Amino acid sequence: MRVLFAMLVTVLLFGPFATVVGSSECTVELDNDHTCQAILRRLSDDLPALRPLLSGARIAINAKFADPHRDVLESDEVALIGMVSGG
Amino acid sequence: MSVTVLITDGPLAPQEVRLPSPAGCGSLLVFEGIVREIEDGRPLMALHYQTYEPMAQTMLATLGREIVARHELIALHAAHSRGHVPVGACSFRLEIHSAHRKAALAAMDEFIDRMKQEVPIWKQAAWA
Repeated sequence: MRVLFAMLVTVLLFGPFATVVGSSECTVELDNDHTCQAILRRLSDDLPALRPLLSGARIAINAKFADPHRDVLESDEVALIGMVSGG
Repeated sequence: MSVTVLITDGPLAPQEVRLPSPAGCGSLLVFEGIVREIEDGRPLMALHYQTYEPMAQTMLATLGREIVARHELIALHAAHSRGHVPVGACSFRLEIHSAHRKAALAAMDEFIDRMKQEVPIWKQAAWA
């Protein structure tokens, strides 16, 4: 049986995401769905300024891109990775 | 085959001494990315690079290994700046050793294109 509980997740922000939000991290509250795609949905709902930048954005967990269906654990480092611009 | 990746603070130092090429090498290609003084028609003072580490380092190394294998290169060395890089300074260097030039030229293009699409490095303009 799966135990359901709410969870607070801190998400690291970089580049344009950090500029738009004005911070290098933000916190989202997840209800029963603790997946990466739930984090993206919550970010879109809670921070409308991010919406135009979220197309194609992915969640990285512990410095690796994660499957959208992967559950986040409280000990995970979570980062939002959007369009990059190195070089 | 050999792949090295380095992310370093500030501009990359000029390469004054070049190590001997590996055995079998018939081509050495070096690309340096320099911060332009004009961006989108506006004068620039510097670029500020932000990296997400260790993800950026890991992804550069993984990309390097993939490119070396796909193009049958002998060695690939990549270096990227983090932090403040003024106009005219070098922020990225890619060095590719291969048996033949065509492989190195194709590999150079592919590495840079993919780095700009995949590796978590961001730049922000500091306008003059």
